[in-house]
Amino acid sequence: MRWNYLAPVISIVASLAVVGVMLAVMGINPLEAYIVMFSRSFASKFGLAELCVKTTPLILTGLAVAIPLRAGLWNIGAEGQLYMGAFAASVVALYINLPEFLVIPLMMAAGAIFGMGWAAIPAFLKAKFDLNEIISTLLLNYVAIYWVEYMVYGPMRGKEVYNFPYTDLFPDAATLPRFFGTRLHLGFLIAILIAIAIYHILKRTDFGFAVRVVGANPRAADYAGISRQKIIFYSMLLGGMLAGIAGMIEVSGIQLRLRPAISTGYGYAGIPVALLASGNPLLVILSASLFGFLYVGGSALQTTYSVPVAIVYVFQALIVLFIIGGQSLRRGD
Amino acid sequence: MEAILEMRNIVKRFGDVVANDHVNLKVRKGEIHGLLGENGAGKTTLMNVLYGIYQPDEGEIIFEGRKVRFKSPRDAISAGIGMVHQHFMLVPRMNVLQNVILGYRTPSDPLINHKWVESKVEKLSEKYGIDIALYEVVMNLSVGEEQRVEILKALFRDVKLLILDEPTAVLTPQEVDSLFYALKSMTKSGLTIIFITHKLKEALKVTDRITVLRKGKNVGTVITAETSERELARMMVGRDVVMDVAKPEVEFGREVLRVEDLWVKDDRGGFAVKGVSFSIREGEIFGIAGVSGNGQKELEEAIAGLRTPARGKILLDGKDITKLGVEKRNEIAYVPEDRIGVGLAPSLSVLENLMLKDFKKYRKGLVLDYEKMEERAKELIEEFSVKTPSLHSPASTLSGGNIQRLILARELSRSPRLIIASQPTRGLDVAGIDYVRRRLVESAAKGCAVLLISEDLDEIFQISDRIAVIFEGEIRGIMERKEADYERVGYLMAGGLEVAV
Repeated sequence: MRWNYLAPVISIVASLAVVGVMLAVMGINPLEAYIVMFSRSFASKFGLAELCVKTTPLILTGLAVAIPLRAGLWNIGAEGQLYMGAFAASVVALYINLPEFLVIPLMMAAGAIFGMGWAAIPAFLKAKFDLNEIISTLLLNYVAIYWVEYMVYGPMRGKEVYNFPYTDLFPDAATLPRFFGTRLHLGFLIAILIAIAIYHILKRTDFGFAVRVVGANPRAADYAGISRQKIIFYSMLLGGMLAGIAGMIEVSGIQLRLRPAISTGYGYAGIPVALLASGNPLLVILSASLFGFLYVGGSALQTTYSVPVAIVYVFQALIVLFIIGGQSLRRGD
Repeated sequence: MEAILEMRNIVKRFGDVVANDHVNLKVRKGEIHGLLGENGAGKTTLMNVLYGIYQPDEGEIIFEGRKVRFKSPRDAISAGIGMVHQHFMLVPRMNVLQNVILGYRTPSDPLINHKWVESKVEKLSEKYGIDIALYEVVMNLSVGEEQRVEILKALFRDVKLLILDEPTAVLTPQEVDSLFYALKSMTKSGLTIIFITHKLKEALKVTDRITVLRKGKNVGTVITAETSERELARMMVGRDVVMDVAKPEVEFGREVLRVEDLWVKDDRGGFAVKGVSFSIREGEIFGIAGVSGNGQKELEEAIAGLRTPARGKILLDGKDITKLGVEKRNEIAYVPEDRIGVGLAPSLSVLENLMLKDFKKYRKGLVLDYEKMEERAKELIEEFSVKTPSLHSPASTLSGGNIQRLILARELSRSPRLIIASQPTRGLDVAGIDYVRRRLVESAAKGCAVLLISEDLDEIFQISDRIAVIFEGEIRGIMERKEADYERVGYLMAGGLEVAV
């Protein structure tokens, strides 16, 4: 039991240490570097706002991985689901004429439905034919990313973008309100509320109960008459929905238009976020903040020491390795 | 007679648990020495210490007059100690010869000198009376033959002391007899055998002396010829035990379960159950005896609703349930053979496991009423005396007996019409066995129909009203308990055909 709390902390510290060594090899004092990362994220209102901005999609993609994970499934496709959500929200924002107060809700609904639909494909294949969801979700990411790329290079390219692969800027009614003169937007609040809601759904509803059983022992689920197919399907759909909402929030809160590379790997980062939180939705908020800090701190390193921002991905990968390594060690004893 | 092995004051701890608490064991050369004790008494731990799998925390081992310390089974084997585990460690796709020499350096290493192996095996076969086709693939062997391969594997390494861990668990009565015969002849040729068991009758039948362990401690060593079942039981359990749960005669009521010409496929697509028909009435316990793997699993899963039969019909109270899913078979309680793998979600709490089938009934609006669930769970824990630190402890922390009580609590409390109990007492201690059988008998007395599937003939004979034998997916003979005897059932279990009388 103690291990459950200790393992994430140990893997974070171990990753910090390894990255520290790498920084030292590059001739940078790791302590100083970490202090820069910290001060850039926490010392100013803008730093804090950026932290929240980066944390927002990570909470949602973290949940998108965490929910299926609780049912024993690996959703590697949050990235693609995010792109499809962003695409659908952009279509609503740009091409549909609506009363202003309806624009944001409809964008969110469209993002949710497309994220869900994108997850429905692997979910159906898994539930019906037991097709490995890791492969199908992963591959569908590329389809989604290239689909968005095609749209912004082609049919959706804006009229005022000088041949850049962008759509036009969204109208004001299609952008999320921002606060305190920073980039902090309503999406942050929405993400936290969703995390709390998911926590209660998993903890207190019969759906949550069934998800736990399927995740803990699929054969016991069969034995108890819990439909494994249904739980696989719905937990994957719920995950896809949240990743889709993450896409909508990203275009509507930050990018204000659709373009390629709207996500810097938020969907993939959702995997370590969920693992670090061991699937607990409230802890996802915490671990998403950590990864948000890495993104902000990482770009601080880039501007201060011209360390490539890839150091952030190294860090992410290390955390995953340490968590998984820790688990296999525990199984070994 | 001289002692070949002496284990002195062996202590082995696992965390706070003392599995072996200053245990002494003295084995004489050429004897069959029984190591008797309930599950968890420390028998296997002691043998694993001897075999080099565990290192003792205290104490010493003297083998053939020399103090030894085995760091791994490799050391033990080269010193002349062999062990046949309860679960065989053979490669099914390889033939007997390949299995025998696996990990062994023949003189022509790295090449295999088949002639040399053959002649050595031949000598061993002659000396110990074990007969095996060397080039048969292990997959095609019966369980008894597989066991002989394991023994041969040990003998091939020139062991002087052979440890057998619960060797009879998977054998038919006839196979047990022939094993015992072989063991006796092996000791005549100078081999020493340690025979681990928790079955009193076997210990009395085959051993020369018996050491009894209880809760990790020595209770004593007795000469088999001078002891009795009653004395051994008292040593094992620490008090006098009444070992008879009798099934009272009751009037049987209406027919509850009817199975008609049922054909069920296994996971590989072949038929595991071939045209089985039987019926069970209210108040009746119907025992199906048979060696594991003869279609029991598929049969029980088909009746429980986990597996769709290919052909045939299953009727419950006259209603055809053949096509219904598990969730629509609420009148069936199922105590599966694989309790931890199927009957339980071990990482979930005791509460969640108790509510595994009923949680939907506790829905209040959008959420589940956990207060009510806890109330009910407390009642169940009380009624079935499940010992658990709390309702919220993971089920995996319970002992084997308490896990079975938890499953019984969940299944029997749902007022079933039919109870399927598969190997319900396997691996339980005497008290647990007694409890489970008593519960089954009580349920039958209340009007349930009980389908008891078990490898344990004592169990079948003790509480069944009628006995059937399953062999290769077919029911071979259904008889009243009064007409049945061990020989006849054992004969059918081994594939013998019923001859018309």
